Amino acid sequence: MNRVVVLTSDLQYAAANKHEARRQAVGRFLPRLTRFLNSVRAKAVPVIHLQLVIPPGDRRSAALPDELRFQRGSAGVRMLEEVVEPSDIIIEKPKDSGFFQTNLDETLRLMEADTLILTGMQAQICIQTTAADAFFRGYNVIVPSDGVVSTLEESMQRALDWMADYCATVMTCDEIEAALEKPGFGFPRRSAND
Amino acid sequence: MTEANVLLDHGSGGLLSNQLIENVIVAGLGDAHAGSLEDSTLLQLSGTTVAMTTDSFIVEPIFFSGGDIGKLAVCGTVNDLAVSGATPRFLTLALVLEEGFPLEDLRRVIDSIREAATEAGVRVVAGDTKVLGKGDLDRIVINTTGLGVVEHAVAPPTLKRIAIGDRIVVSGPVGNHGVQILSRREGLGFEASVVSDCAPLGEMIRLARNAVGDAIHCMRDLTRGGLAGILNEIASNRGVSIDLDGQVIPVQHETRMACSMLGISPMYLANEGCVAFFVRPDACEQLLVALLDTKYGKGAVQIGTVVDRKEGAAPVVEFGAGGKRSVLGPLVGRVLPRLC
Repeated sequence: MNRVVVLTSDLQYAAANKHEARRQAVGRFLPRLTRFLNSVRAKAVPVIHLQLVIPPGDRRSAALPDELRFQRGSAGVRMLEEVVEPSDIIIEKPKDSGFFQTNLDETLRLMEADTLILTGMQAQICIQTTAADAFFRGYNVIVPSDGVVSTLEESMQRALDWMADYCATVMTCDEIEAALEKPGFGFPRRSAND
Repeated sequence: MTEANVLLDHGSGGLLSNQLIENVIVAGLGDAHAGSLEDSTLLQLSGTTVAMTTDSFIVEPIFFSGGDIGKLAVCGTVNDLAVSGATPRFLTLALVLEEGFPLEDLRRVIDSIREAATEAGVRVVAGDTKVLGKGDLDRIVINTTGLGVVEHAVAPPTLKRIAIGDRIVVSGPVGNHGVQILSRREGLGFEASVVSDCAPLGEMIRLARNAVGDAIHCMRDLTRGGLAGILNEIASNRGVSIDLDGQVIPVQHETRMACSMLGISPMYLANEGCVAFFVRPDACEQLLVALLDTKYGKGAVQIGTVVDRKEGAAPVVEFGAGGKRSVLGPLVGRVLPRLC
């Protein structure tokens, strides 16, 4: 039986409201993801949110309004309320991959996690990089095709194809929920030779 | 040149860099310029042939897997001397530091310089230090100037000796340094799996030249512009074409993975420990045997051939699976990865 942990990435006000196209894309995907998170919590699967917090002094942030900044104390850095429950863990990250200069790996090792379900935004880069990083660290990586989002559909599809090619198993939220229902369930595992 | 101001792309090592050098710097220097516009210039001094080169180093982050800005500042310069057929001997070291730069970091950089210089067999013989106010510079810039001696009795390798039929051999995988830097800068997840190839290559080159002598017509270290950018520059300079076997160009799996994710080609990414050799066909096998026996040449592969440039033909063409032909164009500006 797998020890599964769900990760979310960048489910924050600044990311969700970057521009109108992003707002619409997030609006379409968020209800399904919220149901998925509630469903896995009910099965005692831990949820860890990766919260992008960009260190002070970042030049790219300087020109942005407060609600679009990822810096500590800004309006934009806040997590979306609908995805966070008190039982969840929040880990701050400074860059794209959730493992980069964070204690995510140590936390997962303490939880004896071996399978990670990656959700959130954006599928290209933040989900992709965390998927690659997790794969290199020996985790089994599962990505729900309807549990991640990009502003552009083509970017999301390209990211899903890339992850399926190199480092992850792509399934739907329904398929993952069904797998978690089965006693002694096991997710397919990618190896470096696949 | 149509630009009124310097652009970031003028520092990319691509077409815009070349335009800046030729149209502004070399043209402006006029008779005061005596360089060869190769990696180093060979000079006659009282009967001795010496090679001279200079390079300035900026990198973000300054510490990375496989090296740091100090190691880079030694390797970049000694490799430029070595590919010109010289034995690197002396370096100058100029440091420009930002006020507030941690001394602990500076000590780490100096330690790396010492280690790399020792491995490369060079001594630092002069230096300079300047400090700029906080915010006027991004932490540290290093300039090194290198002096080497041409000791081989055989003709030194140079662009001018490249001939039709020459085989092209690379000493190892391409793209790793570029992916390591991008990954560490943005936290892309490849920091541990793709390590910079930064290394002093003088000894590898010395052993290669000992093995095949003047059959090596030209060498280039594949730094800014990467394999494709530099081969384009060479093919255009010589008026030849270069056919590459895309199926054998060595690219580490994780590097290919990262490039696929970022929408960039490893062929254009900078390397700091990889050399392209242009070698006479009958000496190619012997060169490979010699390289494979060296510390930094264990991934050496023959990847292509210099051919006649047909009218209208592209300078660099890559042949993939099933003979699929793709033109590898010159690098124009910076390599821009797809990031969110």
